[in-house]
Amino acid sequence: MIRLPYLFLLVGAFCLSSTWVAAQIEAGNYKFIDANLAIGDSEGSLAFSLNYDRGVGKRKKIIIGLAGRLTSYFGKNQYYVTAPAALTSGSTGPGVLFKENIEANMDTFLIKTSQVNCFNLALTLGYNLSERILLRFNIDVIGFSFGQSVNGNYINGTEGAMESANPSVFNLLLISDNDKGSLNSEFFVRYLLNDKWAIKGGIQFLFTEFTTDSDVQQFPEPNDRFRNKSLMFSAGVSYKL
Amino acid sequence: MKKLFFLFVIILSVACSEDENNTPTAPINDNFDTGQATLLKQGTLMGVGHSVSGTAKIYDENGKKAVVLDPFSSQNGPDLKIYLSKDENASQYINLGAMKSTTGKQSYEITGTPDLGEYKLVLVWCEQFSVLFGKAELK
Repeated sequence: MIRLPYLFLLVGAFCLSSTWVAAQIEAGNYKFIDANLAIGDSEGSLAFSLNYDRGVGKRKKIIIGLAGRLTSYFGKNQYYVTAPAALTSGSTGPGVLFKENIEANMDTFLIKTSQVNCFNLALTLGYNLSERILLRFNIDVIGFSFGQSVNGNYINGTEGAMESANPSVFNLLLISDNDKGSLNSEFFVRYLLNDKWAIKGGIQFLFTEFTTDSDVQQFPEPNDRFRNKSLMFSAGVSYKL
Repeated sequence: MKKLFFLFVIILSVACSEDENNTPTAPINDNFDTGQATLLKQGTLMGVGHSVSGTAKIYDENGKKAVVLDPFSSQNGPDLKIYLSKDENASQYINLGAMKSTTGKQSYEITGTPDLGEYKLVLVWCEQFSVLFGKAELK
């Protein structure tokens, strides 16, 4: 269930983005549809996004943008680990970015077949190296996830238990392990083949998160959130609208 | 363009390669003296969709409990573990360790103080793929 404050945040973000997007279309900025495939070790993802890029500065080489992105992640025998920053880093402030994981607090949830779909708003930063070669970085900021319930193997040292879990519903980019839910990010180069079509290639860093039906982890405090971080090679095509 | 395509294919090939992480196959003979220990329970190992056979026994040796598989033979597979479990679905289990070999006498110390009335199954379990290879019900 999405909690009410999160729902307001989500609706607010979509309203703001719609207004922003409308303004960009009027200003005649670029719009792309992207289809992307990423492959990693026994895992992969498909992503489709609608991107609005706007050049800033005198020469319009620096790009800022906004996108709506649907990512479907498929994983086989993936190890998810304790997610909350309070457990992984012992605190929840911005400082978690520089803290080492507390191994004693990290438990594992092994999922035989995981499939998570997430729909998020994403921010883009970029630089046009030339008329044809465009460098881009984007990252999901807020959205929601859905997918099938799975059974996983909760592993705590020499003890373990089987437990069912679902993709965490609410996604929000914060800082490091403070993040919630499933969030995608890409660093890639887009090469324009002609006025309409382009190809892209790069790397994708994708967080996926499951919430177990009960607090399977009990030490040092109850926890039901487990995260997998996937670094994958990605490639795709873009179509300019 | 052609070079880019081949580069992508090479990258995918490397990314998809999988470490099988199989169990050693050389026969072993663990030095566990059953004559000095008390037999608590035992059961016959049976394969579940895989070839597993032998006998599983739980011994108490000066307060330390251990599972001894002897004789023992198992089909090989990735990431095979020996579990002491409450049921054959491993809904609650104690991981006794990675299977030492696919054949030969082997012992596994039982950590903690589990209630052996509840943990009544020894499982040969593929952890990576969550697949049961074999089981023995201890009586």
